[in-house]
Amino acid sequence: MEIKIPIGPQHPALKEPISLRVTVDGEHIKDVDIRLGYNHRGLEKLAEQKNWVQNIYVMERICGICSHSHTTCYVQAVEQIQGLEVPKRGLYIRTLVAELERVHSHLLWLGVAGHETGFDTFFMYTWRDREIVMDILEIISGNRVHYAINSIGGVRRDISEEQKKLILGSLDTLIKRTEYYANIGTIEPTFVARLDGVGPLSKEQATSLCAVGPVLRASGVANDVRKDDPYAVYDELPFEVATATSGDVLGRVIVRVKELLESYKMIEYLLKNIPEGPISVRAPRKIKPGEAISRYEAPRGEDLHYVKSNGGDKPERLKVRAPTLANYPATVVMLKNMFIADIPIIFAAIDPCVCCAERTVQLIDTKRGDKVMRFSELRKMSIDFYKKMDLSKKGNLWKL
Amino acid sequence: MKLGAFLPEIFKHLFKKPNTVCYPFEKIGVPKDFRGMPVFTSSKCIGCKLCVMDCPAEALEIIRVSETEKKFKMILHNDRCIHCAQCVDSCNKDAIAMNADYELAAFDRNKLKIEYL
Repeated sequence: MEIKIPIGPQHPALKEPISLRVTVDGEHIKDVDIRLGYNHRGLEKLAEQKNWVQNIYVMERICGICSHSHTTCYVQAVEQIQGLEVPKRGLYIRTLVAELERVHSHLLWLGVAGHETGFDTFFMYTWRDREIVMDILEIISGNRVHYAINSIGGVRRDISEEQKKLILGSLDTLIKRTEYYANIGTIEPTFVARLDGVGPLSKEQATSLCAVGPVLRASGVANDVRKDDPYAVYDELPFEVATATSGDVLGRVIVRVKELLESYKMIEYLLKNIPEGPISVRAPRKIKPGEAISRYEAPRGEDLHYVKSNGGDKPERLKVRAPTLANYPATVVMLKNMFIADIPIIFAAIDPCVCCAERTVQLIDTKRGDKVMRFSELRKMSIDFYKKMDLSKKGNLWKL
Repeated sequence: MKLGAFLPEIFKHLFKKPNTVCYPFEKIGVPKDFRGMPVFTSSKCIGCKLCVMDCPAEALEIIRVSETEKKFKMILHNDRCIHCAQCVDSCNKDAIAMNADYELAAFDRNKLKIEYL
């Protein structure tokens, strides 16, 4: 007998409001229906009412964890429209913060994975070590979460020799700790047994469902925007794209740990090879008319921003495609034929950021006669409706 | 594969001090360029209102104090401020700076409105 059970929008297993309608047969999941839209904030519409500078901070607040990803993506698109050449030092600092953000996001995810598998000690330890990278980010930018380091045409803050030394010092501790976690992740039998073979996604499925980021790379596809379409200074950096072949949650853990170790290497290279010079160029208040698409490899996968300018001081259109949205179709496939108890860990394995992915789509049923109406049209329609009505007759006003 | 691979690490931490601090009694300092609360110096302000234009949270107001003199006051709505320090960057005359204050919570949001003269 098949039963439908709702998981979410408010559920202890999910940290953010999303609804999964799961069809189960006994303990086995037969089908999943994902419902979105519980946390829509109208950020794209808001962006059309703010100027270019204000929008950096609006974009930053799309996501708390990949805040730098969204601003960089937006700022890159604006610079592309205006044709601004960002100084090398500015790009180095931008990339440095991006990699530090990846470190903090992946350490956070490792903790969440530990928590969802009932390995809470692991969760506590990774989150303690995450504080080191949070402190580094606070030293560089002045804030732990919303770094606000980007400006149109460069970055806002320079990095000093003292800060460089401090970061390199703390980096050693981080590398040691991450290597220890990588070791634990492969030899601790309870952890491995819980994740091995859970949420399988084959290479073909991953590519056909357009999965992004670590989910795609764990299925054996070496796809990374940093390598395929390098932005900032990634074409100069020595790094390898981390992949795994297993295509399950364990593979996703391995990909993220490997990426952490690659990120440390990149941070070290960036700090040692940062060139001297200015950190930003002056941007005009009005941006040339034009449109641009910007791609960015956020910790969760490929982030995409589309910006259109009409020559004014505000964008005409801003479209955000957050990485989580691209991973939802793959999640449905991953959940099929798994157990109910696997839902939290499989869903957490895509590193979901639900409110980043909340965008409106208007579905119009033409058969039913639906149509889109402006508020002014609606008002006119209501006035006409009442004009036609004969209000003198009793009972005509409230026809029920 | 080894059972209890995490145990040595856990036992080691039994004899270590906790990693947290007792917050209200003990405080961790903030770094040098921490973004706290905006502070306004009236004597430097020329009233260009670039800060008001660029503030993403619409938390600032610059008001002319007298008709004859070029003197301005700033009203900061700290309940709306997002501490991004864009006003500091936008100001050409260095009239706004950020302090290191981070304990800004209050029971009444009206008390968060600050007037600098």
